[in-house]
Amino acid sequence: MTMLPKAQPGARKLGLVIDLDTCVGCHACAVSCKEWNGGGEARMLPDYDKYGTNPDGVWLNRVHSYETGAETCSRTVNLPRSCLHCEDALCVTVCPTGASYKRAEDGIVLVDPEKCIGCKLCAWACPYGARELDEDAGVMRKCTLCVDRIYDESLPEAERQPACVASCPARARHFGDLADPQSKVSQLIEERGGVDLLSSLGYRPTNKYLPPRKATIPVTAAEPQPVSSGGIGTALLQLLDKALSR
Amino acid sequence: MTPAASILLLTTATGFGYGLLAWLGAYATLGLLPLERDRAFVITGVALALLLASIGLAASTLHLGRKARAWRAFTQWRSSWLSREAVASVLTYPVAIALLIAVLRGGEGGWTRVLGFAALAASLGTVFCTAMIYASLKPIRQWHNPHTAPDYLIYAVFSGAILVALLHTFVFGAPGTAATVAIIAAAALAVIAKGLYWHHIGAQTPLATLAQAIGLPTDIEARPLDAPHFTENFVLREMGFTIARRHAARLRRIALGAGFLLPAALSALAALALIPTATMTLALVSAAIGLLVERWLFFAEATHVSALYYGRRI
Repeated sequence: MTMLPKAQPGARKLGLVIDLDTCVGCHACAVSCKEWNGGGEARMLPDYDKYGTNPDGVWLNRVHSYETGAETCSRTVNLPRSCLHCEDALCVTVCPTGASYKRAEDGIVLVDPEKCIGCKLCAWACPYGARELDEDAGVMRKCTLCVDRIYDESLPEAERQPACVASCPARARHFGDLADPQSKVSQLIEERGGVDLLSSLGYRPTNKYLPPRKATIPVTAAEPQPVSSGGIGTALLQLLDKALSR
Repeated sequence: MTPAASILLLTTATGFGYGLLAWLGAYATLGLLPLERDRAFVITGVALALLLASIGLAASTLHLGRKARAWRAFTQWRSSWLSREAVASVLTYPVAIALLIAVLRGGEGGWTRVLGFAALAASLGTVFCTAMIYASLKPIRQWHNPHTAPDYLIYAVFSGAILVALLHTFVFGAPGTAATVAIIAAAALAVIAKGLYWHHIGAQTPLATLAQAIGLPTDIEARPLDAPHFTENFVLREMGFTIARRHAARLRRIALGAGFLLPAALSALAALALIPTATMTLALVSAAIGLLVERWLFFAEATHVSALYYGRRI
């Protein structure tokens, strides 16, 4: 059913908190996502023209790098982009078949590959570009929050987290229950002022991003060179001084 | 947004088909169907309307990844405009056939008027649902606005009027005053609506900045440094389409000229008995080309917020 679930008291809101201050843009999360979702219980994530001139494929997580700030003090911000499991998920309500749905118990947005007709309307409805069509199977693919890992009791408890979180070498990705104010992720959001991407569009994403900390590198203008005015003698002395102070 | 041939064909063909059915329904409601002289008009009309609607619906399945599952699209009408469109389009068939039966058996009786009104409502309702699929997409400012739904209805009414006049010409030798007046009025309305729409999207500001897209304060300037991939992916192929302003300006003139102005002029000539069958056929061809260009532009000029992540203008 593609109606959004009614808010249940005590329901969990599983999601990610991504620290833009510590993300180094290494793409490990994207690669491990591709690996898990290609080799786990989910069906393969396809690649097209793998060894050709236009390689392409379905990735559920993509890492962009941006430059921000003015020329004297610019900085790089790396942005891993995947499904944000929005509370007002338009991708769910536009779905004509009931394939796209949001789970009432934990808020995860999923696609049922047995129902999807591949009409692409959900991808059009997502402002984050988080959904990609599996052109081999003809169905839409998206981040599942590794629903086949986080509830898998055969895994050691420490591994019951999304592949992208487990693989992040900078510990920039955190997974948890955002409905619980005591959870680690909620506290991080509280401490660091976690934000929504594109909040003005009103999708109320579950995943939050921790903004880069304010860092300014002091830059002082170069001191002006003294203008020589003492004739040839002073100029020679200055040359000597310059050579000796090397 | 990348224009897909199947969707252009779908919305244009159903615009003609449901537009024609809407006019037949309106004629039936008002007791204006020309029945006393020849019933071919109404029979061909309903058949042609359903044929065009079927072509459109068949075209719509072409872009599906899993065509055999298309029946599932009838299930989510409570939330999805695409599902509502599917339900409404199929509901139109029994209504149209019932109208035809009522006309053939009872002429201009009460049933004809009631079913005529039902056919009018069902066909315009289907066009409205189609338009709302686009109008409900918040990430696309050129679609998510109050122009989209009325504009689609106006173009359907205009293209339906062209077909009514053409049929009338082939059956009775002249397009008929009512249809000619309808074409000219609808064309004028369409040109005004298109002009207002283009003014509206030209005056809009982008829905967001790159800084907002990556969660930074709005006063910070952000520039793309490295993209996640160096070839086009699904998101860019589908939503990263950009059109040169110069091309858009030329195509806008073609859409207005071929779509609305020329067909209106040609149907006026047909009404003045200048080889009516030839001029009306030409009017239809011109309108079809113009409307396809108009629909192509509706997609090509639309921008999607997600393209911001790749540093594209939205």
